[in-house]
Amino acid sequence: MSGIVEQQIHRDPALFYWILLPITVVMILTGILRHYLSTLLTSTPKKQTVAKLREQRSLMHAQQLRGNFHPISKAAFEKRKEAFIEGVKDSKFLADPGAKGQKPNPLQDPAMMDGMMGMMKGQVAMMVPQSLIMGWINAFFSGYVIMKLPFPLTPQFKQMLQAGVGTRDLDVRWVSSLSWYFLTLFGLQPVYNFILGSNNAASQMAQQMQMGQMGAGAVNPMAGAEDMDKVFNAEAENLEVVEHWYVLNGVEDRLLAKVGKF
Amino acid sequence: MIDEKELAIHPIVPDSVQHNARIVSNIRALTASLFGVAAGTLGLESLPGFIFYFFGTAIVSFFIYSLKADSKAESYFFSPMGDLWAGDMFGGLMSFVLTWTLFYGLCKA
Repeated sequence: MSGIVEQQIHRDPALFYWILLPITVVMILTGILRHYLSTLLTSTPKKQTVAKLREQRSLMHAQQLRGNFHPISKAAFEKRKEAFIEGVKDSKFLADPGAKGQKPNPLQDPAMMDGMMGMMKGQVAMMVPQSLIMGWINAFFSGYVIMKLPFPLTPQFKQMLQAGVGTRDLDVRWVSSLSWYFLTLFGLQPVYNFILGSNNAASQMAQQMQMGQMGAGAVNPMAGAEDMDKVFNAEAENLEVVEHWYVLNGVEDRLLAKVGKF
Repeated sequence: MIDEKELAIHPIVPDSVQHNARIVSNIRALTASLFGVAAGTLGLESLPGFIFYFFGTAIVSFFIYSLKADSKAESYFFSPMGDLWAGDMFGGLMSFVLTWTLFYGLCKA
């Protein structure tokens, strides 16, 4: 019977001014706060010693050479390749040639500790406001419905979205303030984009996605904890097997084919 | 698939790709919010609301194609089918639901 007759609840219009509006404003302001907090907390990378820097740059140089070999001629490529392999054999690039073959301890390296501290700060800046706001909403605005969703949900959501209401037959579409919190949590990203510019750190969702990507191995804070000699040898091997071709090969034919139509 | 040589002769600049993607996603976010306002004010519920959203995004896609990309989608997008038409279809869905719920709550319920 109750399935046919639509449930109607008359609510005070003041609910809008005293609940929906404050939650929305608080969410937007927290996003802005988080953005500036993470901007402030980003520590500038420490200066490294010349030897360490040379080690990193020469490895990067080899990687770039492997990726972009086609704009240089075969002779130039061979020359660069030989120079790099030669250098690896003499361990010319290593920051500490004496420490060859030992696996360094990541916890002793102050640079590693710095990286981990940065990640911790990011996590804290993300988690603290989230739990604070959830606690705030639960403390002040729980126990009554404030709005009706325009789309139906399955009864599993009842537990979460009608927390503290305690009416068994109430349609799931009537939800309490916590669900408005979730909606703003997911939907405010464009608002931050317009306020703060597009690469902001305001949204928790975007940040969590970034974290996931970092875990996949893009920027691994432990990357420095490997034996650099092995890394260089692997890179030299990779460079050795590159099959070189030159982008200007046959450029005349291409040009003629392009211009010859006229 | 485009082979390596072709890519070296006609390189794809990541900055430009990112710029285009950002412009498109900005347009989508803004229009999705406005569609949410419209759907909520009209009092659409459940399925008609979502159909309204998808219809609206299709129209926006068409406008991006004809106005922003000068009807030459392949010179602005790496893969026009994925980046312009199909992709980003769900990008604005959350902001649509947000404004839809808000205005539905204000006007109807």
